[in-house]
Amino acid sequence: MSFANLPLLGVLAGILGIATLLFLLQLLRIRHVEVAVPTTLFWRAAAREAPVRVLRGVFRHPLAYLLVLAICSLLWLAFAGPEAHDDRSSAYRVLFLDGSAHSAGGDDFERAVDKLTGDLAGMPEGRREVIWGGARNIKLLKAGEDRLLLDRRLASLAPEAAPSAMDDQLRLLSLPGIAPESLEFVVYGRAPADPATLESLPAGIRVSRAIDYPESGPNRGIAALGVNPAASGRWDRVDLLVRIAGTPDAEPVGTVTVQVDGQPLGDDRLQRLADDLATVRDLPADGRTVEVRLETVDGLAVDDVARLTLPTRRVVPVALAGDLDPAIRHAIEADPGLEVATEDASIIIRQRGGTPVLDDLPTLVFAPAANQETAFEIAYTGDESAEIALRASVAALGLDQIDAAGLAAEAGRPVGVQLRHAELPSISVWEELLVHYNFTGSRSFPLFVSRAARWLAGEAAWHPYLAAGRPLPSPSGSSLGTVADPTLDALGTEYVLGAAGTIVSSRGDEAVPLLSDAVTERNPGASLAMSQAGGGFAGTGIVTWLILAALLLLGAEWYLYQRGLMP
Amino acid sequence: MASAPTLAELFDPDFLAALQPFSLHARRVARDGRPAEQTSRDRGFGLEFADFKSYVPGDDLRAIDWNIYRRLGRLFVRVFEERRDLPVYLLVDRSSSMYLEDPPRISAGLRVALAMASIALGQHDSVGLFSFSGVLNIDARAAAGKHRLVTFAERLAAFDERDQTDLTGTLGELAGHRLRRGLLVVISDFFDPAGADEIAQALALTRHRLLLVQLVKKTDADPTRHADLHGDIRLLDCESGDAVDLTITPATLARYRESYRGFNDRLTRFATDYDAGLVRIDADEDVLDQLGGLFETGSLVV
Repeated sequence: MSFANLPLLGVLAGILGIATLLFLLQLLRIRHVEVAVPTTLFWRAAAREAPVRVLRGVFRHPLAYLLVLAICSLLWLAFAGPEAHDDRSSAYRVLFLDGSAHSAGGDDFERAVDKLTGDLAGMPEGRREVIWGGARNIKLLKAGEDRLLLDRRLASLAPEAAPSAMDDQLRLLSLPGIAPESLEFVVYGRAPADPATLESLPAGIRVSRAIDYPESGPNRGIAALGVNPAASGRWDRVDLLVRIAGTPDAEPVGTVTVQVDGQPLGDDRLQRLADDLATVRDLPADGRTVEVRLETVDGLAVDDVARLTLPTRRVVPVALAGDLDPAIRHAIEADPGLEVATEDASIIIRQRGGTPVLDDLPTLVFAPAANQETAFEIAYTGDESAEIALRASVAALGLDQIDAAGLAAEAGRPVGVQLRHAELPSISVWEELLVHYNFTGSRSFPLFVSRAARWLAGEAAWHPYLAAGRPLPSPSGSSLGTVADPTLDALGTEYVLGAAGTIVSSRGDEAVPLLSDAVTERNPGASLAMSQAGGGFAGTGIVTWLILAALLLLGAEWYLYQRGLMP
Repeated sequence: MASAPTLAELFDPDFLAALQPFSLHARRVARDGRPAEQTSRDRGFGLEFADFKSYVPGDDLRAIDWNIYRRLGRLFVRVFEERRDLPVYLLVDRSSSMYLEDPPRISAGLRVALAMASIALGQHDSVGLFSFSGVLNIDARAAAGKHRLVTFAERLAAFDERDQTDLTGTLGELAGHRLRRGLLVVISDFFDPAGADEIAQALALTRHRLLLVQLVKKTDADPTRHADLHGDIRLLDCESGDAVDLTITPATLARYRESYRGFNDRLTRFATDYDAGLVRIDADEDVLDQLGGLFETGSLVV
């Protein structure tokens, strides 16, 4: 037996204090209200039989005193918050309410909530917490918080179209110093547990499941959806790949429909590569949204449709100015995404002595090494910090592909990159690199020219796929702003996407589908023991019984008082 | 504290007019009274024939029954029953307990006293007015005459609050005045600290016929009607100033009721044993209505 609100000594001292106070109250001379009456003749006999309390007088009503003491002690104990628990229930409990797509079918989620609510009533408030396991793991109810708060917090929550993040939570708990010595992790929902994660848990952490769900019904859904540069070689086209997964007992793959911005594609466009694999070739890379829908009837609808935003690839018109090295022109002509233009150019490439026309356009300049300190001087316009911009620009421009050491050896001075903020983007490169140091002869030169032109034209990067609950994949293309959250990028962490829907990137809104084999195949994960949480006679129950007992005694006191059996 | 009624309030013509149908009759009054309407033991020159007696010198010759003399040759005279007055002595309690509460018991007591005086004077009986608290006061000696009603009303209205009730001592003092036997009307709450037994013993010693008018209030029988009688209280006796500390509980209330019931039972038993009249007048209710109950047939025989 322990107490949630007071130490044991405090409880005992409180009872002693109450007993003393009540004893003094019994003896205390009371302050009378004076009432004038015609005669006290008839009251004297009554007063003789029931004298009032007098300080230090005879203690006349020990049973009444005991009754009042019992009532007050019961209320005091209820206030102290007693908690009765055995070794099993003395463990700290993390109640994990699965809000992922695993529990989105049927009434799985409602059952989990009902069970959780019921179990909470029988648990000591100080030794449990509730975690919401949706696209992100959120603490719904902290230790010590009243369980009544949970209803309001749950009101706005529903299962999300995202795979379970329970393993992340378990891995977090397994870190040293995070979890208490003894912890029971109770799963409310169908979130599967990874056997490897379970094995890595410390001995004091026990993982159990609150509900013995029946086996999931058959299901089939879209498990992968992505784009690749078109196999046909057309630079402004992409190929779409669709993979279907399902439970072993699922029906064969039915009709798969593909729509681009709401317009269905012809049936001949979808090529079945295998039973579970299909592709659509040569889709225009014009930034529209592709929706793939699987015609099936099963218990899980969230994986029957998936959307993807196609990349955007446009020809960049380039104006050439000045006496350019032929290698630059050759590099531009060799790239189908670039074209030499004299009007309406998006960028300018010029060399020393070139005519400074169209100065209000982004420019790639080849300048004398004497005029600039570093080999590559980049002016950027974004809001990112210099550190982020530098890291992004090195990758975006393909500078990480350059043999900087070789160039530096030939030049006899360091080859570096310098960034500065400007109103117009520009790239300035030592012109000596082109001729004297054989930069044009390296295989990375066309890549540099191509990426520099696209970067200057502001072409955003694109991702081969996006999937809820999975890290953002490496981008294709070149851009300074490819991630939705540059802060996360700066931290060097993986940016994990949330629930299916849309995210905002430098390309604008991008569709994020739920692509999860575990969800679609209704993977039950490792087998977990059934939890006994909430089945005990724990804190709240004791408080309820104590208050009921106090009320019962109060009723008895009232009865005795009415019958004249106690003062 | 509420005040007693003024003369104007007391001498209410409507109230007095409503008393006209009431009369007071004694079964037999004592000798030597004034001629009036009450049946007496005196024989003389009344209107009601009572008996014959042998003639003796000095008898009124007009009373000789000559028919009997013709038949028997002896002289007999007719004697008649003489109607006398009934001395009514009003003994009104002026102790502090009569002036406590609202309305005070003295209001009802003075109305009862005036009513009894009005009825008695109206039938030519003599009425004396006494008041008491710790001592006996003679406020008006027994005398007849309807005109005296105004005087009575003035005296009653002039009553003020006195100290502690001593009914037993007052009755002893009254006995020392050797009043002609009549009807003693005791108007009081009878809250004498001596207790009901002492009161009964003192009343038993009086030579007069008795009519006890007990002035009560509803809170006497049921103290829970009193707004202040709950919880821990100190009861102050308004006459003696004695304090009684107690906690009002169902048990103490029950004990009080038992004690009060015993007191009333003792008064009732005395009235029954000594053929005295006992009427309880609720000071909170209309006096006239309650007197109507006392003079149920219009006449009260004492």
